[in-house]
Amino acid sequence: MEKNQIMAEVQEIFRDVLDNEDIVLSNETVADDIEEWDSLTHIQLVVAVEKHFKIKFTSKEILMWKNVGEMIDCIAAK
Amino acid sequence: MSFCSISFLLLFVTVFALYYFVAGGRRQWQNIVLLAAGYFLYGYADLKFLPLLFGITVVYFFLGKWMGKTANERTSRLLNVAGVVLGVGLLVYFKYLNFFIVSFAQLFGSMGLQVNVHTLNIIMPLGISFFVFRLISYVVDIHLQKTEATDDFLAFATYVSFFPCIMAGPIDRPGFMKQLQKGRDFDYDKVVDGCRQFLWGMLKKVAVADNIAGCVNNVWVNDTFHEPGGYLLVTALLYSFQMYMDFSGYSDMAIGVGKTLGLKVAKNFNYPFFAVNVADYWRRWHMSLTSWLTDYVFMPLNVKFRNMGQAGMILAIVINLVLVGMWHGDNWTYAVFGLYHGLLFIPLILSGAFFKKGKIKTGHLGLPCLKDAGRILLTFLLVTIGLVIFRADSVGRAFEYLASIFTNGVFSFSLEPKHWQCILCIFAVMCVEWKQRNRDHGLELSGIRSNVLKYAIYLAIVGFVLVTSTDASSFIYAQF
Repeated sequence: MEKNQIMAEVQEIFRDVLDNEDIVLSNETVADDIEEWDSLTHIQLVVAVEKHFKIKFTSKEILMWKNVGEMIDCIAAK
Repeated sequence: MSFCSISFLLLFVTVFALYYFVAGGRRQWQNIVLLAAGYFLYGYADLKFLPLLFGITVVYFFLGKWMGKTANERTSRLLNVAGVVLGVGLLVYFKYLNFFIVSFAQLFGSMGLQVNVHTLNIIMPLGISFFVFRLISYVVDIHLQKTEATDDFLAFATYVSFFPCIMAGPIDRPGFMKQLQKGRDFDYDKVVDGCRQFLWGMLKKVAVADNIAGCVNNVWVNDTFHEPGGYLLVTALLYSFQMYMDFSGYSDMAIGVGKTLGLKVAKNFNYPFFAVNVADYWRRWHMSLTSWLTDYVFMPLNVKFRNMGQAGMILAIVINLVLVGMWHGDNWTYAVFGLYHGLLFIPLILSGAFFKKGKIKTGHLGLPCLKDAGRILLTFLLVTIGLVIFRADSVGRAFEYLASIFTNGVFSFSLEPKHWQCILCIFAVMCVEWKQRNRDHGLELSGIRSNVLKYAIYLAIVGFVLVTSTDASSFIYAQF
């Protein structure tokens, strides 16, 4: 799957989980850029992404992501 | 050496002069001054633990360097585990070993098995809970590629032993070292703001916390709680304020010293008694510890338990808060204190309130609306119950105290003038902090233009501190 398409689908997941239709993601987006995105909602996002793409991240992968771009790379590599 | 002592003031003035006027903007020299101050302060408290502080700093420095050099994931993971085990091992040995020995003996004793145990003569090094957490976060962050291993031993050792924070935090993260890797020039505004924050912290500690201590300690020294219930209730409420004023006062002073030296120290309190629920409270109380445990304990657990839904989150939070409690020392009261707070999270998670971070709605005169005022009050009462458990020598004593509030007549008051003096001081400080709640500290005066008014405020606070000061007592958190 193309990274652009992954990004679009991940953006929809973010909007749905964080209940904010205004969210626009880029590779550089970090938790500080989105008010609703904190350590708690982060896990909800991870679970939703895993379910949607039918993949499983390792704990280290989840804890290492520094921005959305790294999450997208990780999904693309699965 | 207390921040409120003349000796600390002399140390600070000496460091300040050497740091800016001798070392100038040369970072290596400035770091040498800071390191020397940290080791002097630590050695001043207890000389025999200096080798431990230095030795453990050297070990983690080379551990970090090794992790930074290795490209092998397995080696990095092993070194990370070694770093975490070493840090936790030091904490277990110095803080909890005797506690575990005695607890196991009691457990076997309760099963009818008599075990002869000998506790060890272990003296806990000051500040170990704080500098060990700094060291653990360094190796974990290197492993997770959130920070790079440093080659600058001087900056690393200064980060570990930064003198305003070595005894009782705040617990800075490895990112703090970036500030040490460049020279710091004298910045008048930062120095003035740092002094103001220091003064505000001193007011909370000396004028409020130390005076409350006299009221609270009188009750807890007795074998039984014979005072009227209302008196015990007021004492419990006062203790909550004592804890806050003492520890946030200390934190303001440490952060203030950091600011005067051009260094940003981690924030530790964000007006926790204005929290609208317990989750909100823990986002505002001892933030450098709770965020540390959130990142290094709660998050990994939450990731592990992520497919268990809300039950997984509850489990991760309860474990996390029990550890927050246990971090304070070797008494079951601390574990029960953490468990109590963990259980308070359950209704918040199930109702979804846990995830909301709404701002307090204010009405006329800038006061909170009735609903939010009720939530703030309820949270404060729940926190106070927790702090009774925290303060007690044993869990049984805590329950005895709480029961005595009701059995001794909850509406029966007989407060003394010293209580009213404390209540008045608390009211004044809390009013100022409510007004300043969106600012860094209570004495941030950027909105006041008149210099005369500013100096009048400084003088009034200094005068008030001098008039109300009691015999200097140590900071509560210095014992942890």
